[in-house]
Formats: sequence, C-alpha cells, structure tokens
Amino acid sequence: MILLTMVARVADGLPLAASIQEDEQSGRDLQQYQSQAKQLCRKLNAQSPDRCTLEAGDMNFHYLIAQGVCYLSLCEASFPKKMAFAYLEDLHNEFYDQYGRRVPTVTRPYSFIEFDTYIQKMKKSYVDSRARRNLGSINTELQDVQRIMVANIEEVLQRGEALSALDTKASNLTSLSKKYRSDAKYLNTRSTYAKVAAVAVFFITLIIYVRFWWL
Amino acid sequence: MEYLHRGTEEHFQQPSLLCSLMIRKPFLFLFNQPPGGPGPAQLSPSLAAMSLQSSTPEALRVVNLLQERNLLPPTPVPAPTPCLPQDLQKINCNPEVFRCTLTSIPQTQSLLNKAKMPLGLLLHPFKDLSQLPVVTSSTIVRCRSCRTYINPFVSFLDQRRWKCNLCYRVNDVPEEFMYNPVSRSYGEPHKRPEVQNATIEFIAPSEYMLRPPQPAVYLFVLDVSHNAVETGYLNVFCQSLLDNINALPGDSRTKVGFITFDSTIHFYNLQEGLSQPQMLIVSDIEDIFLPTPDSLLVNLNECKELVQDLLKSLPTLFGKTMETQSALGSALQAAFKLLSPTGGRMSVFQTQLPNLGVGALQSREDPNQRASAKDIQHLSPATDFYKKLALDCSGQQVAVDLFLLSAQYCDLASLGCISRYSAGSVYYYPSYHHQHSPAQVERFQKDLKRYLTRKIGFEAVMRIRCTKGLSIHTFHGNFFVRSTDLLSLPNVNPDAGFAVQMSIEDNLDDMQVVSFQAALLYTSSKGERRIRVHTLCLPVVSSLSDIFSGADVQAMTGLLACMAVDRSVTASLSDARDAMTNAAIDSLTSYRQSVLTIQQPGLLAPACLRLFPLYILALLKQKAFRTGTSTRLDDRVFAMCQLKYQPLFYAMLMIHPALYRVDDLTDEGALNINERTIPQPRVLQLSVEKLSREGAFLMDTGTVMYLWIGRNCHPNFLTQVLGVPNYAAVPENLYLLPELDTAESQRTRAFVGWLRDQRPFYPSLHVIRDESQLKANFMQNMIEDRTASALSYYEFLLHLQQQISK
Repeated sequence: MILLTMVARVADGLPLAASIQEDEQSGRDLQQYQSQAKQLCRKLNAQSPDRCTLEAGDMNFHYLIAQGVCYLSLCEASFPKKMAFAYLEDLHNEFYDQYGRRVPTVTRPYSFIEFDTYIQKMKKSYVDSRARRNLGSINTELQDVQRIMVANIEEVLQRGEALSALDTKASNLTSLSKKYRSDAKYLNTRSTYAKVAAVAVFFITLIIYVRFWWL
Repeated sequence: MEYLHRGTEEHFQQPSLLCSLMIRKPFLFLFNQPPGGPGPAQLSPSLAAMSLQSSTPEALRVVNLLQERNLLPPTPVPAPTPCLPQDLQKINCNPEVFRCTLTSIPQTQSLLNKAKMPLGLLLHPFKDLSQLPVVTSSTIVRCRSCRTYINPFVSFLDQRRWKCNLCYRVNDVPEEFMYNPVSRSYGEPHKRPEVQNATIEFIAPSEYMLRPPQPAVYLFVLDVSHNAVETGYLNVFCQSLLDNINALPGDSRTKVGFITFDSTIHFYNLQEGLSQPQMLIVSDIEDIFLPTPDSLLVNLNECKELVQDLLKSLPTLFGKTMETQSALGSALQAAFKLLSPTGGRMSVFQTQLPNLGVGALQSREDPNQRASAKDIQHLSPATDFYKKLALDCSGQQVAVDLFLLSAQYCDLASLGCISRYSAGSVYYYPSYHHQHSPAQVERFQKDLKRYLTRKIGFEAVMRIRCTKGLSIHTFHGNFFVRSTDLLSLPNVNPDAGFAVQMSIEDNLDDMQVVSFQAALLYTSSKGERRIRVHTLCLPVVSSLSDIFSGADVQAMTGLLACMAVDRSVTASLSDARDAMTNAAIDSLTSYRQSVLTIQQPGLLAPACLRLFPLYILALLKQKAFRTGTSTRLDDRVFAMCQLKYQPLFYAMLMIHPALYRVDDLTDEGALNINERTIPQPRVLQLSVEKLSREGAFLMDTGTVMYLWIGRNCHPNFLTQVLGVPNYAAVPENLYLLPELDTAESQRTRAFVGWLRDQRPFYPSLHVIRDESQLKANFMQNMIEDRTASALSYYEFLLHLQQQISK
C-alpha cells in the first residue's frame, strides 16, 4: 500500500505536488511521516544517491532523484521494492513531460498540485493486486535492485554525519596513539642507553683510578 | 474579478511621493522618542488638539429626541470615521470590512462601564473586494512574541528594527525586507506594500500547511420524498447546477458527488467509463456504510458527461415516489463518511421534518403560542445530534450548508446547528412551491447561482489579535472556537460576518492608539494557501464625551442583536428584550449624567446616538424578538440565525428597512454609474404617516423588496412603470417590473437594479396593493407606528425618558 507520495525540487526542498491516502483503514497517523518526508526533501542535495530506500519503523521511504526533482513515496514494509521504484519511474516520466520545464521557475509551494489526480490513478493501478502486468514490466525495465542502497532514516536525518565523523576521529586516534607508543618506546630505549653509558663511564673511571693509584 | 494585483510585485503601483512623505511623519515622531515607547507628554497635546478639531462638534450636538422628528439622514447612514491623524486614517482598514462599536476606545474598564455601551468588533473578513494587494514573499515578517503580521501601524525605530503595535516588542527587520521591489530601492522597509496597506493577502509558504492543499470537493445531499417532489425544487436545482457547472470554483482536481434520500439512502456511481450513472441503494439506515470505496466522489473534469446525465434524469427519477419519510440524520452521516478523507462542502436540501432514523425530530411548535405575549419556547435545539455531527465535520474540514424549503414546521432550531458549528450557511424558503410561489422560485434560482459560483476558501482558520490590554471574550457567527481565540472555519465564504465582544483587562494609560488584526488563513479553490490580513487602528481616549462622540450606532445595534440572540436561547426571550431596552436606557442615562453640562427637559441624546432608540425599537419589533404578533417558530429562528450570520450592512437593512417614494423619481441628485443615471430618492421614516394614497413606495428589507401602490396612485405611474391602465388592473402576484420603454420605467428599474447590485444575494420584489396578503408584512415593518402589541416610536421615547429620570 502506498500511503504518501511527494514530489519536491531538490535544490531547496520546495514541495511541488503531493498525494496522501487518508481513509479510515490507514488511520490518521500520517502527520509524523509527513513531517519526516518534508525534512528529507530539504536534506537531499546533488550528492545524495539517485535511488535509495530508507527504513522508518514499519514503513519504508523510497525515493528517486531525476533532473533536479525528487520523487518520494512512503509504503508499507511488505510492499515490494521493485514495484515502488517502477511507480516512481512512471511518476517521473509523466511529471517531466507535463511540468519539467517549469520546475526551476516556480516559487509558490505546491505549484503543481494538479498532478495529484495522475498520482492517484497511478497509485490505484499499482496497488491493485490483480494487475499482473506490472510485475512483467518491472522485470524487463528495472535495473538490478540489489544496487539500491538501503539505509536507516534516522541515520540520514540526524546521526549519519555524526557517526561517520566519529569513525574517522576514532581511526585518527588509533594511529596517533600507535605513533605515540613507538615514540615512547624509542625514548625509553634511549634513556636506558644513556643510563647504561653513564654507569659504564663511572666504572671505567673507577678502574683507571684504582690502576693509577695502586701501580 | 478576484485579484486585481497578482503575484509578482511589479504589478504594484508606485506610492506617490506625497503619500510617502506623509507616512514618514509619525515615524519621525516616534524616532525621537526614548526607546520606551511614545512619550505621552510629547504626543498627547498634539493628538488631543487634533482630536478636538477633527471630532466634529456635530457628533456631540445635543438632540432632543422628543422634539426633533426627522432624524433619518436622506442617504444611508455612513460609518463614523475614527479621529486619527489624517495620514493614519487614510491607510486605515475599510469600515465595510472591520468596524468597532466605539471608534474611540476608553482608557480603562471602569470608564467603559460608566459609558454603558458595548465594546466589540464586527468583521466581514472574506468580503469580495475590488482591489486586493497580493504579496508573494519568501519571508512573512511577523512579531517574534505575539506573531502579529507586520502592518501599517507598526513603528520603525530605525531602518533595522520595528516595534510591534500589539505587544510592543522590538523585532529585527530581515534582510530581504529591506529591499522594496515596488520602488526598487533599498533601505526603506516602511514603503513596502505590507506596511502601506491595511488589507493585504500573502501567499503562504509550506510551513502554514498541515497537509497538501485540498481540492475543491462539493457534495449535494437532496431530499427526494414525496413532499420534496411536490415542491418541484429538484428541477430548479438540477437546471441551475447544469447551467453553472463550468463556473464552480476549482481547478482540474475539483470533485463532485450526489446523495439522495427519503427513507433509504441512494448513492450514485459516476465512474469514468460507465455508460450511465448507477444508483446504489442502502436501506440499512441505522448503520450506514459506503457501498463502494471510490467513484462516489468523482473528478468533475473527467466525468462531466455522466454528471450532466445524472442531473438531467434526477427530477424524473423520483417523479412517482410515494415515500413520506425522511432519514436526514443517516444521510448526513453517510455524506460525512464520504467527505471526511478530503474535507469540502456539503449542501443539504430538506423539505420536511426528518422523521426516521437517527436525528429524527418531533414537531414542537404549538400554533396557539405563535402570538404569545409571554415567553417563546423551543428556541434551543431539541437534540445535540446535529451539533455533534457538525463538530465532527468541522474536525475533518467539512462545512454543511442547509437549504430549507418547507411549508410546515421543520425545527430549524435543531437543524440549524449543523451549519452553525461547521461554518456553513442556512437558506430558508418558507412555503416554497414551484407553482404557488413564483417569487420564491426566482429567489431560489438567483441564490443558487450566487451560492454555486461565489468565491470559497477551504480548511480555513481565523485569529483576531488586539493590543496588549484588550481581550476578546465572546464570539458570534458560524464557526467553531478551537482554543482560546482560534476560529476553525472549514469553509469561508464572502457572505459571512462575524462579531466579537471585548473587554479591557489592563488600563491603556500610555497608549495613544490601539490596533486590531484579523488574520484568515485559507486554501483557495485553486489549491493556493493564502493569508488575508486586516488591521484596524483606533485612538484611545480618556473622557466620556470623546467616547460618546466616537460611538458607532449601527455597529452597536448589530452587536446588541447578536448578544440578544444568545440571551434568548440561554435565558429567555423576555430577558433579551429587557436587556435591549436597558441598553438604550443606560447609555442615554450615562450621557445625561456624565456628559451633559446643561440639564434640559426632554429626552436628550448626542447626535451620533440619535438613531439608537429607533434601532432598539426596530429590534424589539423584529421577527426574531417580537411578542404578541403571530410569528412562526421557524421564521423566528431563521431571523435569529441571520442576525448573527449576516455582515452589518445587510443586518441593518433587515432591522431597519429603507423606505423610498418611487412614483416621483427625478434625475435631481442622481448618481452616474456606468453611463446609467440612477435616481437617489430620500430615505423616509418607517411610518404610515409618510405613506400617501397618491404615491407608490418601495421598501427594501434586504432579502425582500415591497412596492406598495397607493389606492389613488397617479395613473401615469401605473401605465408608464407597471404597464397597467388603472389600479384595479394591477395583478395579484406581480414580482417583476416590466421592461417598458418609458423614462419612468427606466428610472425605476435603474434604481431597483442599483439597490440589488449592492448586495451579493438577490432580493425578490413583490408589488402589493392594499388588499394584498403581503400587506401585513409590509405594514409590520412600519416601526414607528403603534400596533396592538407594541408601542409607537414616540411612546417608546416617553417610556425611555420615564426610566431615565427615575
């Protein structure tokens, strides 16, 4: 079941179109997911992967970035990934045809909200389990799903950067401490040599003194 | 058209140099002040001097009501101008949109109590405006603490900081705001359109949306019982919708749906691809469910032919029905289920008392009690089913509009709740019949056209803020109050008015002016989220005479009417009547004791309040509050609903109709609009004294106009305007003015057309002779005359005088 679909401009996260499946069965709890979706659109930039699946509790966010526009959908975990990405591809093709040229020029949020009617129709045809044709077209068209990165939504939104920074810092610390250890060992040996040398000089002086006085 | 200025700022006009120079002055004043705020010592002498000059001595001129008989001005009463400095008043909010009962606010609550006048605001926030500046800006500048929108009455401390005029907090001017796109200059934030216009609309960024903007969704719930088919309203409705189907506000996402009901509920499957509409009947009305999950509400663009087919076949589909029961409650529940995922507008058409299933009502009216001189019973709802359903609807952004077209008692007191709490509107056509009441049919047609095509806003909320020290405690109108001052309006339409009552919590000692701001956040029918902001600024005064000179008698009457409706429902009708009379007595007593320096005999009032006793008497004789005259309970309840719902201008017409003599119209003093000359006859007093057998008189009561022909009316008028040879030939039920090619006919039609154009709804016209049945309605509006159960105007004044001198 596809619960939420959002189309936004990647450059500034401006929402362009959206569709929410609100009915008694799915419950009215989509507020939290909606705000996560909005935040996600703002976080994405040119460096983000083209296609990605994010796990959020028992739902999955699937997104696709193409030509500066991000297509995001929230589906139940049981909804097959292949179908989700085929759906997003379809949306991209239609949206780009109709509105692609105007995307960089708009300033008002939800300028293309009329795309909602198409999204609803698409959704229906994908969710309808009797439409076997979808699976056939997916198998021929879609790229290998294994290459699509799977990540956790928490990481992406908040802790992702912090964790990788921590990682590099920790490895830095390891190498630094190794270096410190070898330095310390070197200094230790040097000081031992110095001590041994001092004791040896003392004894040589003693022996020469004894030889000189006694002979 | 809707918006004169669109989107990009290039469309704004360059503010004139003179205007900008004048705007600077108050800011200069305040710029020299110590940061604590405008010092009273520096500002008040100049303001006080100005107030003495600009408050016309006319407003405080003493009038002896018992002696002066011609109090009505010849033209409609204008709204008083608050006495602010000229440059502030020029940019102040239009009184048609935002009006206060006292245009000079008292400084303390005790002063307000001494003046004994109600303090409140009357607004018409979504009024159709011919000029509305629209701003698309990346940042909407608001005060950090009280969240007020920046408005023309803030003060700029320097170029980078502004002081809020509601909470006095100093805020920073954001960088983007420093650039003025109109004059393409930098560093003059006070010249931006947000600071130059008191009424402005913003395009809201995505933070102002809880969910993506909803599409326009319209659901029509139609009564098809035998009674309904008898009245023939279905024909008119279907034809009207067919004619206006392309003019329904919306875009390509607009959805429509239909439900009809009698003792069962009928749904219509209009899925694209079907050859004709499919009717699905659900007879389990105790536990209603939707027969199919979708295709009951369909996209209008894609399924237009199916919708048109359905509308053409609907009247004949139920032509032979014999069902007499009506399951309105279940139909409303089904409709709510259908609309709750998206929100939208539900239009319910009902022609009889619902007598089956949930929400069934009993006939509570006792015909013998209609003319009761004591209390009227059954003004409050019989069941809270409709109120609860309305609150559920409000939570899902669904508004319910009710059209009641019945001849018998329908318990409007209970049914009206469905609209009152869901920000809908109530339309009432008593004794509607397609053959017996053609005037009602015409009115229904014109009202439907306006209803289907007028501007609409969805999922709206409104908040009214006022300067620190003032607080709002009671709200009047059709909405639901969610949290202390947030009004939830699932639909907002241009014909709805609101009123609020205020009190003064802290003394307004250091302030010269106070401001009020009403902000309405809504989704337009095209899916744009917009914020309409109106700001009003009024001076603060400390003397009773200044308060009296700034009193707005029409606004006070409107607010008192709302308060009286509340009182009649919670307490009793006689309580409400007494309260209204006491309002007049108290204010005139206060004037006499505290303001009048010379005590003279007679009933003395300031010129600005001279019409107050007349309006109070008009309210006491209004259908809503009158006793002793036979009034149907539904008519009474509907009048009460209208007093609370209508904006002030139309409510005043309802309370105190305008009477004109029309058989001797001349072009003297006529208005020239669009190359048509519109004669302007004098407004006459509502007394039979002013009527004459030789003339013809037009009475304008807002929704209905009466043209009364005197028995000896000049035959010239009859032939030239009505097209009949003599008095006896005037037809019984004439409701149209024939279009004759004579000068008199043109003048009369121009005048009537001009009156009609001033309001969005369509007033029906009745031509009546002396023997006509409607003569009683006409005569009931003669407020100044004595009737069997009520005092004449002069007697009322004597009664007031007696109470005052006690």
